[in-house]
Amino acid sequence: MRFLPWIFLAPALVIYSVVVVYPMLYSAYLSFFRWDGVAPKKIFVGFQNYVVLLTHNDVFWIALKNNAIWLAAALLVPTSIGLGSALVLNSRFRGSHIFRSIFYFPAVLSLAVVGLIWTWIYHPDLGLANQLLDALHFKFLERHWLSDPQIAIYPVILAATWNAVGLPMLLFLAGLQTIPSELHEAAKVEGAGQLQRFWYVTFPLLRETTLIVLAITSINALKAYDIVYAMTNGGPANRTQLLSTWMYFLTYNYHEVGLGTAIAVVLFSLPLIFAIPYIRLMTRKI
Amino acid sequence: MSQMSTDAMSQSREPRDPRKSASQARRAPQISAKVAIFYTALIVAALIWLTPVITLVLTALKDAGDFAVNGAFSLPKSIRWANFSEAWQTGVGNYFWNSVIVTGIKVPIGILIEAMAAFALTHMHFRWANKVFVYVLVGLIVPMQMTLVPLTLLMNALNLIDTLTGLIILYIGFGVPFGVLVMRGYFRTLPPAIIEAARIDGCSWLKIFYRIALPLALPAVVSLCILDGVATWNEFILAQIFLRSDELRTLPLGLVQFSTQFSTQYDQLAAAVLISVAPVMLVFLLFQRYFVAGMGGAVK
Repeated sequence: MRFLPWIFLAPALVIYSVVVVYPMLYSAYLSFFRWDGVAPKKIFVGFQNYVVLLTHNDVFWIALKNNAIWLAAALLVPTSIGLGSALVLNSRFRGSHIFRSIFYFPAVLSLAVVGLIWTWIYHPDLGLANQLLDALHFKFLERHWLSDPQIAIYPVILAATWNAVGLPMLLFLAGLQTIPSELHEAAKVEGAGQLQRFWYVTFPLLRETTLIVLAITSINALKAYDIVYAMTNGGPANRTQLLSTWMYFLTYNYHEVGLGTAIAVVLFSLPLIFAIPYIRLMTRKI
Repeated sequence: MSQMSTDAMSQSREPRDPRKSASQARRAPQISAKVAIFYTALIVAALIWLTPVITLVLTALKDAGDFAVNGAFSLPKSIRWANFSEAWQTGVGNYFWNSVIVTGIKVPIGILIEAMAAFALTHMHFRWANKVFVYVLVGLIVPMQMTLVPLTLLMNALNLIDTLTGLIILYIGFGVPFGVLVMRGYFRTLPPAIIEAARIDGCSWLKIFYRIALPLALPAVVSLCILDGVATWNEFILAQIFLRSDELRTLPLGLVQFSTQFSTQYDQLAAAVLISVAPVMLVFLLFQRYFVAGMGGAVK
């Protein structure tokens, strides 16, 4: 009887442990070795891979900076747009469901597809971005969006933002629905204006939702990979590498398994900062 | 803005409300101007938001020459359906069926084992439930990159590289954390009394699970089916690493490959992208409310 729950858990736990947990731990172990992935002998080097990354690997710093920009953008832009659209679309007016679907829609597309679509938009001659600037007589703003090393990461982030708005909007909508309308009525009777009601009623009650939204958005932002691969493949001159794509390059193109797994460890440690409050929140109500 | 929308809501219904007085009716023109502005703003925002999709559809419908001359954002001179059949025959059809196979096998197996685990965690008086749950939750933050090298070694040893079977196994493993999270969220809302009653009647746990708990959790199962189906359909990185031969590629991977191979044939490429998006779009339109329900379950 006592082991019965384990039987129910076994299929999920076994496959999860083999596919996710064990490889994760083994990656951490590999990050202390120099290895090309095929040679029978791995050479133990201690923390040297991490030192090499921090001191002798310029692309690592470019990637880290890009990840930081990406994360900052993800925490600010999609969350605000998501909150804004959720506030507008929360009330039921005619067609509100259609608008919800429209604003959520990009979130169901694969990031590879989003990348492809936006690559056309940024096409130097035929793309919508430059054609629009042309039509508005802002020709001086036209760029080779994805091949200009100075700016290429920003168009990619914009494309990712388009995809990232849906989830916060959905979560905020769910959060708003839990706020009893009596609270707003009462505040209205007391003479609270619209902004006051948002600031003193809606916002405090959305605190938990906001925390979850920020946690999920930051975790997703650090997982970004496909869209960069589809749009720039890390180029031009490695200027759009993220830790995730640079890990792939080092491991599968340069056969630097030690360096690659070391990056993976860094990439894993970063979201922990955001995930710990989230996991505590999930397990609190037991 | 939210105030505005509430106005739009109440006012648009007003004419049909017999209790409203004539004095309010006289104010109607001014109010409907407000409603009109609200809707116009929303529609403009929606059109801007959908511009990339509109561009995609327009590109898929025109021939390459038209695109080269007029760019993406113009109505097609003549609609060219052949783009779709040509894309389908140049490999996209094959990618499509691979995606169908992978998603079709992964999702039901995944949900079954996730539901069983979540049931054990919520209703079987299991002392380690909380610890096991945290162990599973860690998977939500593991970046794929953290597993790739060991998985490559493992899949190599098991001869599963470049097989759909291998990919499906990986997908099932990576699906466990989110699936358990959603199912657990829902099972927690089932009253323990139902389960207790069945226990007292001498029902076995297995029977309680598939006769009582699983049917009651149908809304969560459907939500998870949809969310997980879309996620599996869209997955890229594992497919990229573990599928090597062209005839096994799934859609996202195949499309990116297709785009490097036919980088100038925007018409066919756009058609190919539309083919890959169509099932997701259809599922989304049909089961829209389950997206909300599923995510709600995940954060409950």
